[in-house]
Amino acid sequence: MWSTVYTGFGYWDVYTWLIFFAIAAALVLWLRSLGRKDYKKGTDQDEIFYGSNVVPDDGSEIQVPASSAYWGFTEALKGYYEILVELHSGDAREYVGYMVLTASVLAVLVLL
Amino acid sequence: MNWSVHLPALVIAVPLLGAFAAPVAGLGGKPLRNLWLVTVSALTAILSIILWRYVQVEGIMVYVLGGESWALTLPSGLSWPIRIILEVDAFSAFMAVVGSIAALAGAFFSLRFMERFSGLDKFVSLYFLLTAGMLGMELTGDLFNFFVFLEIASVASFGLVAYWRDRPEAIEAGFKYMVVSTVAAMLILIAVGFFYGRYNAVNMAAVARMMRFGYAEKIALVFLVASLAMKCGTVPMHMWTPDAYTEAPAGVTCLLVAVSQASLYGLFRVCFSLYGTSLGSSVVPWTIIVMGVLSMFIGVTMAVIQKEIKRLMAYHSVSQIGYILLGLGVGLLALNDPQAMAEYGFTAMKGGIFHLINYTMYKGLLFLTAGALYYAAGTRNLNELGGLARVMPHTTFMFVIAAAAIAGLPPFNGFVSKLLIYESTFAVYPILAVAALVTSVLTLASFVKVFQTAFLGPEKSVFQHVKEVPATMLVGMSILTIVIIGLTLFPTWSLAHLVEPAAKALVDQAGYITAVMGGGL
Repeated sequence: MWSTVYTGFGYWDVYTWLIFFAIAAALVLWLRSLGRKDYKKGTDQDEIFYGSNVVPDDGSEIQVPASSAYWGFTEALKGYYEILVELHSGDAREYVGYMVLTASVLAVLVLL
Repeated sequence: MNWSVHLPALVIAVPLLGAFAAPVAGLGGKPLRNLWLVTVSALTAILSIILWRYVQVEGIMVYVLGGESWALTLPSGLSWPIRIILEVDAFSAFMAVVGSIAALAGAFFSLRFMERFSGLDKFVSLYFLLTAGMLGMELTGDLFNFFVFLEIASVASFGLVAYWRDRPEAIEAGFKYMVVSTVAAMLILIAVGFFYGRYNAVNMAAVARMMRFGYAEKIALVFLVASLAMKCGTVPMHMWTPDAYTEAPAGVTCLLVAVSQASLYGLFRVCFSLYGTSLGSSVVPWTIIVMGVLSMFIGVTMAVIQKEIKRLMAYHSVSQIGYILLGLGVGLLALNDPQAMAEYGFTAMKGGIFHLINYTMYKGLLFLTAGALYYAAGTRNLNELGGLARVMPHTTFMFVIAAAAIAGLPPFNGFVSKLLIYESTFAVYPILAVAALVTSVLTLASFVKVFQTAFLGPEKSVFQHVKEVPATMLVGMSILTIVIIGLTLFPTWSLAHLVEPAAKALVDQAGYITAVMGGGL
């Protein structure tokens, strides 16, 4: 078959997945078709829900910036990130240093 | 005589001619220069595909440069080759196809993207030199020649990374890449010198035939592994990657992704074909595996906190290289054990090689979509972007495909290669598969962030003028999108015709040696 990949431990079939995806999509569209169609376009009914506040005209006022995304994740790993960011200093001498260090460690391991 | 026998030389000669004739084409103005860029790139891609097909049918090809006969690797009376020999097996041909497709996509994308720059004749020359260097690295069977092509590619990429001359960051990125690359190139040259001193030969097959794993060979191995791992952006030597990938023009970044794979190709050619079973201990395989895991995890965790779209994607490059290193490292670990190779090693190698083509295609596409966003909106800062899916529907569609593929979401091609890597590495140590899975989850998380902040959300007044990018840029992105969809829908064909022959060629050290040295000696 063109679509089945045997991994030696199991298998993957892309067309089975696509058929499943098509059935799920059909179900979603059917559910959507059950919704009310009598809302009035261009009125408040058409507006997004913004915590019961007035939606600002400019989207930039209400968007969560990328630097705030995953705040909890980065806060939980603060110690890890402090070290990691410090290592990425942008100093070209350190770039060369890491390569020399890697080569040295590998040399010790290979030569011993 | 059948012209196909000259394909290995033609695949390198065509972009070289493209580079040297670019200033002449430039005399014809913008239309002729653009036509030259696209035509030569397309011709190179077509020749690479024909070469790949030829190798599939005929087996390993050798091509002797400057000899009395193109196929005579050992002239009478000589016991080792003295001329430059191109040696193309299924792995080399596979790499040439991958690289030339990325070059073609980058060329189409650059037609309009580069219009804001001056000195475009030089850009076209450097672009083709980079392509020729990459293809030369992948097709040569000669260690010194590999170094020369590596230098051609490196020098061209210094110029291209720093091409945005009025941006100090671009000059700085080009300089840093130059410093670290030059050190790596010197280490490679010293390693080649070791082989020449020991064996009086620089042909890979000849050196592999005579290889005795002494101190000189060990030092040469260390220099080659460290240098080539740095050139493909492996942790902890990856620092140049975010700088260079971010500052290079988007079409060039797409090609740089493929060029980094040529270094990865060199790393595995050295490990499998040059040293092969003489590696003996498991130190080098485990070093590659550990560097792979570190690259995966550190790359992706650094990507999560980025707010500059190309820099975020550059850290993901580091992370994706980790998957390939992990897969091929496990294959190398199983090289001396036929049972381990049959049980999980070959599956890991297939996963690694399949991930290599997948990564080049979707990462190239992601960099092009980032370039499209910059071209249309004038910023790469995710804090400033937003709501662009409405006005850039085609770019959005292609971004979603590439993002889903890199995150390993089923049914995309990235899922299949990752599945092969997960299952095979689990058989070695379950923690390796766990690290790969966690990396995949974090990859998805960071691309959800990009999608949400750049494409979704309400319209922003500053982007009212924004519209979809020009058709040639869409064509460049579409080439890679079509390849991704093809690899997704026909995974069995891809594995059987593209990946498995490449993996078999890589483990067949005897076949690689015999193609040049014959059965005797």
